[in-house]
Amino acid sequence: MPLFSETGNTTILEPLPFADWQRRPAWPAVSLANTDPVEDLAPHVGRLRLIVLNFPKFSDGRAYSQARLLRGRLGYTGELRATGGVLQDQLPFMLRCGFDSFESDQKGFGEALAKARTLFSVVYQPAEDDRATASLLRLSRRNVHPAV
Amino acid sequence: MPDTHFYQPKHFYQYDDYDRALVAERVEQFRDQVRRRIAGELTEEQFKPLRLTNGLYLQLHAYMLRIAIPYGTLSSRQLRKLADISRKYDRGYGHFTTRQNLQLNWIKLEDAPDALAALADVDMHAIQTSGNCIRNVTADHYAGAAVDEIEDPRIWCEIVRQWSTLHPEFSFLPRKFKIAITGSPNDRAAVRVHDIGLRLWANEAGEVGFEVIVGGGLGRTPMIGKTLREFLPRDELLAYLEATLRVYNRYGRRDNLYKARIKILVHEIGAEKMREEVEAEYAAIKDGALKLPVETIEAIARQFAPPPLPHRPAVVAEVEGLKLEDRDFALWLKSNVAPHRMAGYRIVTASLKPAGAPPGDASAVQMEGVADIADAYSQGEIRVSHEQNLVLPHVAAEDLPAVWRALGRLGFAEANVGKITDIIACPGLDYCALANARSIPVAQRISNHFAGLARQHDIGDLKIKISGCINACGHHHVGHIGILGVDKNGVELYQLSLGGDIDFGKTAIGAILGPAVTADKVVEAVDALVRTYLDARSDGERFVDTYRRIGAQPFKERVYAAV
Amino acid sequence: MAKNLSGDLSIASANRLVDGVVVFLDDAGQWTTRFELAAVARDKRAGEILLERARAEAFDVIDPFLVAVTEDDDARIEPVSLREKIRVSGLTFDAIAADAVRYA
Repeated sequence: MPLFSETGNTTILEPLPFADWQRRPAWPAVSLANTDPVEDLAPHVGRLRLIVLNFPKFSDGRAYSQARLLRGRLGYTGELRATGGVLQDQLPFMLRCGFDSFESDQKGFGEALAKARTLFSVVYQPAEDDRATASLLRLSRRNVHPAV
Repeated sequence: MPDTHFYQPKHFYQYDDYDRALVAERVEQFRDQVRRRIAGELTEEQFKPLRLTNGLYLQLHAYMLRIAIPYGTLSSRQLRKLADISRKYDRGYGHFTTRQNLQLNWIKLEDAPDALAALADVDMHAIQTSGNCIRNVTADHYAGAAVDEIEDPRIWCEIVRQWSTLHPEFSFLPRKFKIAITGSPNDRAAVRVHDIGLRLWANEAGEVGFEVIVGGGLGRTPMIGKTLREFLPRDELLAYLEATLRVYNRYGRRDNLYKARIKILVHEIGAEKMREEVEAEYAAIKDGALKLPVETIEAIARQFAPPPLPHRPAVVAEVEGLKLEDRDFALWLKSNVAPHRMAGYRIVTASLKPAGAPPGDASAVQMEGVADIADAYSQGEIRVSHEQNLVLPHVAAEDLPAVWRALGRLGFAEANVGKITDIIACPGLDYCALANARSIPVAQRISNHFAGLARQHDIGDLKIKISGCINACGHHHVGHIGILGVDKNGVELYQLSLGGDIDFGKTAIGAILGPAVTADKVVEAVDALVRTYLDARSDGERFVDTYRRIGAQPFKERVYAAV
Repeated sequence: MAKNLSGDLSIASANRLVDGVVVFLDDAGQWTTRFELAAVARDKRAGEILLERARAEAFDVIDPFLVAVTEDDDARIEPVSLREKIRVSGLTFDAIAADAVRYA
């Protein structure tokens, strides 16, 4: 299955399925089912270099929450990979939730990835990317031009 | 009529360049998705959620476009554009829905991007009006004008609208998610039967906060929402919503389409456990990026500041005189005109339920006519109610005769708001691929049968709500009389229920009366219900009050003797 | 008078992708808006074959399916279910017209 990332840097580490990894938590690569408790990874995030999250169907959005918790709550900074139902039209959401690599056999995925971050010049809500929300931009704009 | 509409300032949220950019970019994204679908680069399965989250359903005869009308508020310019779009891309009429949106029933997929671009021209869209995502946030249709209002709920609807739009984490929820907000102790937004209902109220210290109600809903398993939080500080609203949605996204059922709403999760784990989960998540995020700065709230609140209405007399000789001369005007004043915060003003409801007409529909000409009236007499503003009518929120009492006549010329001045012919009906089997039975012809027959105004006013307040299937888009569960169309062996049958209601303290799911009746007996059945009420009522009792006092039995006997 | 051969008669229908219009598969394997030109399958097996054919031709339409029909003595077909009757013949009431000011 082709693997894509924005930087081209992906690890070749083989992820262990969660149950197996729990017996060998020193291993720095794990793949979770979308029902596995990401919170259990908390003591290990410093060591982990790859976490793979699964979309059993592209319409099953549980991994978006898992991704955000890993990045935002647990502070995970390694490679966060999406697998399963991974389609280019969901890339803007996946990128915002903190995924940085993708397994997909959809035609045109690579080209879509290159454009996905710029599809929308505005975001309304904070997520796991560093984008300033419209709200924040308005505040700073008002502070520069108080009459607005 | 004065030509003021280009210059009237608006008294609700106005898009800035950020909002416009997002909507324009969304149109382009969808345009490309449509192109790829037509070219065969996307399967229908892959494309379906993309078109749903741009408001496009496939119905029986054609695509249907559901246009978002955030918190049911429109400018005259926007309403005119809707008329325009209905002419250009559809068959020149639209249907105002029970979630304050507008539906066009004959859209072509290949035209949809252009229709959405036309909407974008007036700061409108169809984003997330369908699909398993957060839908249009609805509000009290009297917001900003109501006498009993504590705070304008639309400020918060707009804040929630932005937070929920293209939310990357919550775009593939187990199921759709509907939020409603009321700023008044009289709930005109049905917040107790929404996935999340929010009620603004002031505590003893005078602080305004939200009661957060979760897990209400109609449909297959109607439920009244549970209060998860009695008082939530306003600036923490988004954190609480995010926490609730995250718990739902993680733990909501995905194995069964009919058990996937948040109400099922609350029911299965219990309100207490739900509260624990939400509060734990909320505690972790409440002081983070979602906390609303005071300036952000104030900047949005300012946009909803009430219009500076010039002082107008509260008592008007012309109105008093016309009331005595013209019985239709007198009845219209009683049923279609509500008090306003300001003494010289009123809230006027344009009834989109003329006798025998499909409820909630308006032609392009009628939409434009209402826009003109709004410009001349209502600060250029129109509201859509969840009862499929339009509202003119700021009409001077002095202008009531002129407004009545102008609405009358449009066919929208029937004095039946809240009365038996002010029927709420879903599109039903005539339009909808999900329906089991038709609802519009049933509404038409009932409407024609009870058309006499004097009789309607004698019968008094009576809400009939009709759904063509268990999805309950007609809100039949909360009708004083609810009618649910079912299919038995290819025959349309109608199940009656009594005693549904949506107001606080009285929110109730209607109780099924007895065996379903055939289409040709529905009018007789309703007639029997009405006669039972008229015979049994005490002074001042509405239909639903008498039902609550005497119970179902007398009604049941009368109905089944008649059909 | 309608003849129903044990409910075995069927036609294939779908909605056209570009405009959502209701279409039927005709004898030539083309999608037509004209109901009377729909190819009729006369038994269950023929129905299965018809549906396969419809699915093979499904590039321009969405999710073809079989519709049970009855046939009268003049070989005119009609859908069995009310839903499909409405789908074929349209709304059962008069929709409001674009320039309507009062409901007709």
